[in-house]
Amino acid sequence: MPKRKAIHREKPKERFSYDPSKVLGKLEEYGRHILEEIKSGKNPYFDIPMRGLSNVYFDEKKRVIRMGDKLSRRYFLNVAHARKFMQTLVIMAYVKRLVSESKHASLREAYYANKHTIPGTKENTFEDQSESDPIIEDLERMFGVLREEMHLTADRRGYIYGDIVIKDGEDEFNASKLGSGGWAVPGTVEHIQFPEVNVDYALVVETAAMADRLIEEKFAQKENALIIASQGQASRGVRRLIHRLHYEEGLPIIVFTDGDPYGWYIYSTIKQGSINLAYLSDKLATPEAKFVGMTMDDIKRYGLENVTEKLKGIPPNKKGGPTADYKRIIEEMNYPWFQNKEWQRQLKMALKMGVRIEQQALANKSLEFVARRYLPEKINSGDLLP
Amino acid sequence: MAEANQLFKEFKIQSVSEFFRRNAAMLGYTGKVRSLTTLVHEAVTNSLDACEEAGIAPYVRVEVEELGSERYRIIIEDNGPGIPEKYITHVFGKMLAGTKAHRNIQSRGQQGIGISGAVMFAQITSGKATRVITSTGDDKIIEAWVKIDVDKNEGKIVKKEKHPNPKGWRGTRIEFEVKNVRYIRSKQGVYWYLKLTAIANPHAHIDLIEPDGKLIIFPRSSEEVPEPPVEMKPHPRGVLTDDVYRMAKKTRRNTVKRFLIGEFSRISEKKVDELVEYVAALRLIKTEKDKNVQKQLYERLAKGDVKAVLRSFRGYTKVVKQVAKIMEKPPEKLTWHEAEEIVEAFKYIKFLAPPTHGLRPIGEKNIERGLKGILKPEFVTAVTRPPKVYSGGIPFQVEVGVAYGGQISPGFDVFRYANRVPLLFDAGSCVTTIAARSVDWKRYKVDDPDRTPLVVMINVVSVHVPYTGTGKQSIASDEDIYNEIRLAIMDAARRLQTYLSGKHRHLRQAKRRKTFEKYIPEIARALSVLTGEPEEAVGSYFIGLVESHFAAKESETNPAEVSENA
Repeated sequence: MPKRKAIHREKPKERFSYDPSKVLGKLEEYGRHILEEIKSGKNPYFDIPMRGLSNVYFDEKKRVIRMGDKLSRRYFLNVAHARKFMQTLVIMAYVKRLVSESKHASLREAYYANKHTIPGTKENTFEDQSESDPIIEDLERMFGVLREEMHLTADRRGYIYGDIVIKDGEDEFNASKLGSGGWAVPGTVEHIQFPEVNVDYALVVETAAMADRLIEEKFAQKENALIIASQGQASRGVRRLIHRLHYEEGLPIIVFTDGDPYGWYIYSTIKQGSINLAYLSDKLATPEAKFVGMTMDDIKRYGLENVTEKLKGIPPNKKGGPTADYKRIIEEMNYPWFQNKEWQRQLKMALKMGVRIEQQALANKSLEFVARRYLPEKINSGDLLP
Repeated sequence: MAEANQLFKEFKIQSVSEFFRRNAAMLGYTGKVRSLTTLVHEAVTNSLDACEEAGIAPYVRVEVEELGSERYRIIIEDNGPGIPEKYITHVFGKMLAGTKAHRNIQSRGQQGIGISGAVMFAQITSGKATRVITSTGDDKIIEAWVKIDVDKNEGKIVKKEKHPNPKGWRGTRIEFEVKNVRYIRSKQGVYWYLKLTAIANPHAHIDLIEPDGKLIIFPRSSEEVPEPPVEMKPHPRGVLTDDVYRMAKKTRRNTVKRFLIGEFSRISEKKVDELVEYVAALRLIKTEKDKNVQKQLYERLAKGDVKAVLRSFRGYTKVVKQVAKIMEKPPEKLTWHEAEEIVEAFKYIKFLAPPTHGLRPIGEKNIERGLKGILKPEFVTAVTRPPKVYSGGIPFQVEVGVAYGGQISPGFDVFRYANRVPLLFDAGSCVTTIAARSVDWKRYKVDDPDRTPLVVMINVVSVHVPYTGTGKQSIASDEDIYNEIRLAIMDAARRLQTYLSGKHRHLRQAKRRKTFEKYIPEIARALSVLTGEPEEAVGSYFIGLVESHFAAKESETNPAEVSENA
């Protein structure tokens, strides 16, 4: 008699859609606009949604970080803008070529492909990658598309393991039949489809070490879960994958990180998106994600006091404080999306105790402990943080 | 006795050359480099003066030929009025060593021994006579070899030839042969001297042929031949006892009173009456035993209370009458002591400022022409200050030119002149250098003077330039002159500042323009990929936009004038 689980698949809310012609249309539209301006002797410009905290707000209803409507105008005839104006067009032309030839390039490749000396000067179109990356982000914000849709891929990081069938181009395979390394999530997951999904939920794990532990302990099979190893801050590919699995396949998302400000922030970006990529929250964020651990309560409950680590920095009540970890925790306490009883309590506890707890501290109990007891107990009893 | 005569003769020859050597420093013939410069200076100055007085635009050619080690032939040729035959000995033999009569006239000559000194120098170094070829433009050319007769201390013509003058040549050519000199291109050499001379005399064309045959041309940059200076009557404040005494001996006037009114500026009948009172008052004060009382009386006199001072002495009218008698006697009877008293009284009397009509500054326009023509700068400006007076009665005038950029090499240079004559030595002690250095150049957008291509020329014009030392190569640091130089420099520097800020603006504009233009090819290519519009067409749209943008900018900011004179 199977006991009723707290976690089960839901109905899909989004449909898979991938349309390369959308990007081409945008490129065309913006190029035309510039051309018309210059033809009529006007100073041509791009309107680019502003980046940074000042143009970000928290959408209470949808529970995601959203980009505001502040625009910055990037003119050609402005000493401060001219170079970026040129760079914007150069990358646009490059993207057009990529998409029309259905080729993909990494950010670094995009940088090298477009870097050359401007004739008659000692200047390069791009001096280093820190100049080309922001331009690509600008285009994402301008067009409202993902850079993956522009065939620009990020560095791949993260892998998944579990009983789902993935269709990647010509290939189809089951992500639990690829050995203990699972399937590495590519930089772009736009084109990937999921013909079969035989899991109840997806567990996002911060560290590869923990994910490997769970795979070894057959956690995926036993709990019918998909393990997603984010390997630190979840890459865009992983975040997009999580989003798609949740909205297109109805998989509940549970996040398992270290109990420290960095881990909580990883959770927060998966859940409501990040400030830098606020404009992509609709595509990357998964506000329904839940948090399983590590929590401050776990320390007491599982008797882990002797395996905690001290927080770095100066606490707020001491002279010079708060700094480092303490400062980060206080910042997180002020985020609108952490404004609920449970999270405020967690963060306050962390400040009070002055400690952090790692996922792998659970190994202090036993190697199997995390897979046999900790996770199943917490998940199946619904002992999760919002 | 004959033997004694013999000795005496020997002694004489010795003494003149000895005198010359001993006073070499005073005369400018000191050091191998400077001697050559002085010699050229004397000849060139003569040429320029002669042309000026004849109203001819001067053409001066200086040729330096190396004959052996430290042995040169120096040729100076001009297109001046020429020297009439009978004056040749006069011109080349007048040894006025050190007796620069106090002619109240602005002059280029500084040493007062002029060309005869040069002849003498050539003679005692090489033993050779000086060859003079001259014509006034009539039918003959005179060729004469001139020496200084050391016995009589006057010029004598050793050999003379006359040649026909079919082409009507006019001018003077002097050839010296000198030894123990050196030609080098230093800042104290002939080249530099002529360069500076050319700047201060833009109406002159100067050619220099160096020993290696190199021809350097300092072209004429102005057609205006300056008016020759006129003699000005001395101002009472600017004279010494000796001046008054000697002038009184020479004058044609028949009473001292007439002499004073006639030979000095700013002395009227009324002033003579005043003078009588002051001289009397001074005599009386000198009789006062009590030093403190005496001091007070002097102070009151300085305040102009001459009447009160006189009244404080009993029987003062008698003294006044005695002094009044002096004024009625013939001037040649004036004693040294009386002249002394008069000069002392002059110091207490208030006079109008001296006349300045005789001063001949180069003028702002001509300074600019000179600097532009010789230095080829990108910016030049000049300031001629109104005449002023130093030490109470000597009129002087300061001019400053500033040249910047262009072909000027980086560094801050001061070109010093006194009455248009370049000063090449003792720069450190010269008031012009001190004043130029004292200016805070940072205020005028010259952040690092030592690395800015900047030349400041300073010309001090006066009938009596107060030189330091016997070298007459630097001007004494008189406060009035110093302040006047500073004011002139600051005036010119302000204009430089205006230009520099304009220039910076222009550079900025050009730089900005380039900022846009360099990206156009990239933009054109990208936009062509995006829209299918031909690259060239897109490029030309963008170029057109940049053009019109900067054309509009140009019209709203007036380009700075290269030369501006407020």
